[in-house]
Amino acid sequence: MSMRRTHLYQYHREHGKLIDFAGFEMPVWYEGIIPEHQAVRNSVGLFDVTHMGRAFVEGEGAEAFLDYMLTGEISNLEPMKGLYTLMCNERGGIIDDLIAYRLSDDKFFLVYNASNREKDLRWLEVNSQGFDVSIKEVSDEVAMFSLQGPKAEETLQKLCGEVASLKRFQISRYRIEGWDIMAARTGYTGEDGFELFILDTPLQEPWKAVRFWETLLEAGEEFGVKPCGLGARDTLRLEAGLCLYGNDIDEETNPFEARLRWVVKLEKGRSFIGKEALMRVAEERVRRTRVGIALEERGIPRKGYEIWNEEMIGFVTSGGYSPTLDRGIAMGYVPPEYSKLNTPVRIKIRDRLLKGKIVKFHPFYDESRYGWRRSKG
Amino acid sequence: MKKDYKLPSELRYSKEHEWVKVLEDGTALIGISDYAQDQLHELVYVELPEAGKEVNRMEVIGTVESVKAVSDIYSPISGVILEVNRELTDSPELINQDPYGKGWIVKVKPKNLEPELKELMDSEAYKKYIEKQS
Repeated sequence: MSMRRTHLYQYHREHGKLIDFAGFEMPVWYEGIIPEHQAVRNSVGLFDVTHMGRAFVEGEGAEAFLDYMLTGEISNLEPMKGLYTLMCNERGGIIDDLIAYRLSDDKFFLVYNASNREKDLRWLEVNSQGFDVSIKEVSDEVAMFSLQGPKAEETLQKLCGEVASLKRFQISRYRIEGWDIMAARTGYTGEDGFELFILDTPLQEPWKAVRFWETLLEAGEEFGVKPCGLGARDTLRLEAGLCLYGNDIDEETNPFEARLRWVVKLEKGRSFIGKEALMRVAEERVRRTRVGIALEERGIPRKGYEIWNEEMIGFVTSGGYSPTLDRGIAMGYVPPEYSKLNTPVRIKIRDRLLKGKIVKFHPFYDESRYGWRRSKG
Repeated sequence: MKKDYKLPSELRYSKEHEWVKVLEDGTALIGISDYAQDQLHELVYVELPEAGKEVNRMEVIGTVESVKAVSDIYSPISGVILEVNRELTDSPELINQDPYGKGWIVKVKPKNLEPELKELMDSEAYKKYIEKQS
């Protein structure tokens, strides 16, 4: 199978180091993961995330359909607002995590994981029978960039003053010179920022998207903006304690053990796929729970490594080096009795058990200094 | 991104991207090549062996980790480890900055140097080898 590419492929090839991610040739870094990570934490960075899935869901039955497909309360979602939500199977396992935006009464926009593009679309289509709804996938017609960091707002404001009034998880449509875009105040880094959807940018005609990318980099130049690859995207989301589908959550994980109970609305009026199974799970005590671990010794935890107390108690699902904390950090699942803050645990790295402890992980960093909640100025 | 890698001609290189430099006193330094450090990029952790350890050719003597990847270091020659570059523990980035100088990893007293050196590549052969890899 040939690799898929985004509009920015030539740029990535010339400026970055390419890797295969979910079948796409994407940059893992341009300058390096650490400087790119730091640009986003301290100023601003720009990511090409066109590999992600995007679809419009439209029609009189769209609201009822999405209420049935997703764990969140779509009927309560105001126009031009987004919701982080889950799509589950009948067993309550997570098919994907995604953001659903309501654009109008009967028009929605879904943004989901690159690795699940085909699966999600199939699942939506299979279940759409009986609903007055049309699903239109636009991943190859709408480029997607993510501008992230404390200086993201000032950067984008130079091109479009109105974006400053956009609140977290709001989405709006803007005209920037010749580009027709939707901007949402969302991201996957823990920082303030925007996810930008550049409308009418078919893959076969990449230059319009490329030109927008360059325009954003020019706008951010005074803030030291850096193009950022998937490496920094991963270290940033890990520090923010955000799940990566396929690592921290999958079809065998239920939302409660993943600590995503807040996005499951069991009390919503409409039934949804997985609701009955999740009602049963909600009654039971979870067998394992997602935790954050910070290592106290030098070493780098990675996916699949064992977590120990007196005995082996679980596995790391995401791990790595945290540039902000300058230490190894991890997320993983352990039985609830080991999930209390400061519980000593060890992570097995090759033949050694390295000391660490359970820490606050959503996010791992100090929120008064980093992240979108930080005090400005 | 295309790069010209530094490949000093006085060194010998292994297929696993280690280099060997034979010193005047007959001991040898071992490290990883400019190509290897660039592929791994941004090293953040190095696991080193203990001095005094006897190693065989192709035995794992340590591990280097970048933000993204883990890679074993193989000894390209047999011998006894005389010295270990302890500075790397706190500053693994020395390997990125100066792979053939301050980024050396271990010093070995070789056991079977001449025949084992013949198994390694000179800089020209190694250059061709990495061109084929990328």
